[in-house]
Amino acid sequence: MSELVVDTRDFQDIRLLYPKGFINAHTVRVFEGELQRTVQDGLFKIVVNCSGLSYIASAGLGAIMGSIEELRSNGGDLRLANLNETVANIFEILGFNHLYRIFPSESEAIESFLSGSPSL
Amino acid sequence: MKGKPTLVLQVPSETRFLVLIRDVAKKMAEAAGFDEPTAGKVALAVDEATTNVIEHAYHGASGKVVEVRIEDRDSELCVDVIDTGDMVNPRTLPRVDLERYASERRTGGLGVHLMEKIMDSVTFRRSARRNVCCLVKRKH
Repeated sequence: MSELVVDTRDFQDIRLLYPKGFINAHTVRVFEGELQRTVQDGLFKIVVNCSGLSYIASAGLGAIMGSIEELRSNGGDLRLANLNETVANIFEILGFNHLYRIFPSESEAIESFLSGSPSL
Repeated sequence: MKGKPTLVLQVPSETRFLVLIRDVAKKMAEAAGFDEPTAGKVALAVDEATTNVIEHAYHGASGKVVEVRIEDRDSELCVDVIDTGDMVNPRTLPRVDLERYASERRTGGLGVHLMEKIMDSVTFRRSARRNVCCLVKRKH
């Protein structure tokens, strides 16, 4: 079984990412690759649906931080949805919940983009 | 005999072994009496310490050894992550400022910050040409 696979889906100009597995220093390049591919595709609005993510280490958080400026400077953002308790806890420990918008569900994250709700 | 036996794990300095170290650390933390969410966080701190060794002490070289010693003491769990690579003192790194961090597009240095948030004590020392990162989590 792969340690991380990232499925993708587009909804209008929003790229939905579905990481399945875990993100650490070993698997982060897969995740980073999808973030970079999204920007190369000219899409700057990303929803990461974390329902299949068992845990995330600092390498994954670094990948998010490394992409956010480019996304926001192009009118987009990276928003997160469906975090399990473990992942939510890591975000809180680092204060990421004050830097990134986190939603209970994917549909709410999508809706926030559609309604023009700003980034934090 | 005071305390319980120490578990010693030696793995190659390759990131593919991080998941193994994490799984073992989590199980040991649970066996030491920590609840599952806390054991998961302790395991993450050990993952971060090991990642630091691979990336900074060994500069990504794969032919080295990382040793992880996990000891269940009466009042605390102690994890030593040991390498024979270059001495890296994360204390010399500037403190992580998340707002600035994002705007400067930095993507490293979060690991030590996370370790310090999770554990009660994180110390680094150099002993007999070995670097030892000692992580301690108190039980109460």
